[in-house]
Amino acid sequence: MGNINSKGIEKNTFDAIVIGSGISGGWAAKELCEHGIKTLVLERGRNVRHLIDYPTMSKDPWDFPHRNNLTLKEIEENPVVSKCYAFREDAMQFFVKDKEHPYIQEKPFDWIRGYQVGGKSLIWARQTQRWSKYDFEGPGRDGFAVDWPIRYEDLAPWYSHVEKFVGISGNKDGLETLPDGEFLPAWEMNVVEKSMQKRIMDNYKDRNVIIGRCAHLTKPKEIHLEQGRGQCQARNLCQRGCPFGAYFSSNSSTIPWAAKTGNLTLRPDSVVHSIIYDDKKNKATGVRVIDAHTKMITEYLAKVIFVNAAALNSNLVLLNSTSTRFPNGLGNDNGLLGKYVAFQNYRGTLNASMDGFLDSYYYGRRPCAVMMPNFRNVYKQEMDFLRGYMVFFSAYRGGWNHAVPGDQMGAEFKQAETEPGSWGVSMMMQGETIPKESNRVFLSKDQKDEWGIPLLSIDVGYDDNDEKSLKDFLNQGVEMLDKAGCKNITTNDSKQAPGLDIHEVGGVRMGKNSKTSLLNKWNQMHECPNVFVTDGACMTSTGTQNPSITFMALTARAANHAIEELKKGNL
Amino acid sequence: MAIILPATIVSTEFLFSSCKSDVKEEYFTDEIIKLLDEIGETIIPATSTSPGAKAARIGAFMKIYVTDCYTPEQQIIFWNGIDKIKELSKNKFPQLALSQKMAILHVLEDESVEYAKNKKSNTGGNGDAVQTGKGNSDKMNNSNPHFYPMIKELTLFGFFTSQPGATQALRYIQTPGSYQGNVPYKKGDKAWAT
Repeated sequence: MGNINSKGIEKNTFDAIVIGSGISGGWAAKELCEHGIKTLVLERGRNVRHLIDYPTMSKDPWDFPHRNNLTLKEIEENPVVSKCYAFREDAMQFFVKDKEHPYIQEKPFDWIRGYQVGGKSLIWARQTQRWSKYDFEGPGRDGFAVDWPIRYEDLAPWYSHVEKFVGISGNKDGLETLPDGEFLPAWEMNVVEKSMQKRIMDNYKDRNVIIGRCAHLTKPKEIHLEQGRGQCQARNLCQRGCPFGAYFSSNSSTIPWAAKTGNLTLRPDSVVHSIIYDDKKNKATGVRVIDAHTKMITEYLAKVIFVNAAALNSNLVLLNSTSTRFPNGLGNDNGLLGKYVAFQNYRGTLNASMDGFLDSYYYGRRPCAVMMPNFRNVYKQEMDFLRGYMVFFSAYRGGWNHAVPGDQMGAEFKQAETEPGSWGVSMMMQGETIPKESNRVFLSKDQKDEWGIPLLSIDVGYDDNDEKSLKDFLNQGVEMLDKAGCKNITTNDSKQAPGLDIHEVGGVRMGKNSKTSLLNKWNQMHECPNVFVTDGACMTSTGTQNPSITFMALTARAANHAIEELKKGNL
Repeated sequence: MAIILPATIVSTEFLFSSCKSDVKEEYFTDEIIKLLDEIGETIIPATSTSPGAKAARIGAFMKIYVTDCYTPEQQIIFWNGIDKIKELSKNKFPQLALSQKMAILHVLEDESVEYAKNKKSNTGGNGDAVQTGKGNSDKMNNSNPHFYPMIKELTLFGFFTSQPGATQALRYIQTPGSYQGNVPYKKGDKAWAT
């Protein structure tokens, strides 16, 4: 299906193609373009230009007809995405609506997506932590997955590289379980959190309570000002898009930077059907694109292809890229493509009250919580479950609907509700889950979307390890909150389906052995080395950390390897 | 499920004989909106320090929110409560003295306290049929199964997210500029609106 118009071929030929413009695709584009690589970035959704396309960024609560709540109709039409905490009146334009992009749930799975330039980097929660050596060593040590083909030392320089550009706020805490990064000033804890920190750490010598680390410019450096980004104003309205570019997104940062080089071509509204594999040349040669609106098919050619469509979408593209050489999906000799999908366990939460501290309040809206790095099974396997969980908590004073005594109407009632209430504490888990062959995605045999691409079937569920880990978190949460001086401690299991964590990973896992993995240590497909997969799909295990900064570091590292290989003529 | 209405009903506008309600925006006539303003103002009155629910146009807000965001079951509870207020006030709620208005709302509040007591001792009950709006803000909890807590919550919500409510009764700063973890607080200082 070649284009015999040679000018047309030239117009559609690039050095590199990046599938996806989200948090990892934007990084691939930036690195490639900076090194003179003519790069085509394909984004299936619409363009969203920084500042110009943030319609709600400066609105006040009363500017929203429903004061930022969803209507019944919106909930009924979107049973999946309406479960997401950030899918509200102020940011719903950046989320995929259920009906627009159907998928098949073999087991309940809430697949939350953002199909636009910038992807979920517009709406992400911006929390960032480096993996530690224990996270990379875990699978090899405990045998619950194949060994990672890399170690922390391999990624450390790349964490530094991306952190400097992104702008990460945090404290140098000196912890083995959560390595320090290149940090801008950290956010503060409030008085209750500080008290809890001291009491928890006094009681548990192997547990650490630290301020959260996040992708916010608390004090921009020259590199950030060069990007046109400014200081975070503590509005905590990030999912709308930021007037100050103060949190990291592709839209405010990597994409404009790549565009400045003159080497970027950004094509929104481009649905990738498949990667083209040339059976004679034994390499991938390009990408088949269906225009989102006209449905016209165009082939784009390149020497190197980066797959950054988001974890499950990357699986979909690769599964749909069939050829004589690869009848079961690109690079899928071992049949493991789409398997070993995992996620993070968010089911457990606790709430409590804290007496006292009534002479203190906070100013501004901090965009991060307090956190505790994982303290389970760190140095050896010792619990009745594998791996562990990160803990996040925050303390706050009651708002305008807090319970007040006395008459529930009238002047005194109103006066009481205009004052902050007493302190409350809420705590959540971010648990590592074990990748399993049976947790997988695959293409529907008979159902297709409006572009003729098979729907994705998602067959992912919890296991006994998740239940035990959850139970331990809730028990430990009660104990720690109690020791911290909290009262009225309640526990909750949301019983939410996997997916609502929005940290699904895997399906195209990295590994040393091409029989048991899809990608090598440079994120190249073992069987098709000019195709790189560097978004969540590449993850061999899930860790307890928020994954995005790791995706960015892996992407920058892989892109620089691709650049070297291109320069050497190896790709 | 039939809803038993009181024998003497002043208005025949709202005869709900089944759970399948077809409540529409048109039910919010000017008269009803005025009534809702008065109910709201009774719960959250203007004081020397800040305006009340009327200044926040609470009736107009309730029209939008109840129509768009309440489930049919919640709307039935809402309208039955409004009906009761109209009945107890002989359709003259706006004209009553403040103490009389409060007395009427207290009747409904007392009913809700009884209701809550009975609900605790029952294993099932109508309350379970009322669904909370999934995906709605945890700031706005629609799961109150009885009229008074519902109208109280709706008034608080509509008032404190309004411009007069947020900016005068509370402190509202769209762009704080910084985060400080410990600022002195003394009793009477207003809470942050967001």
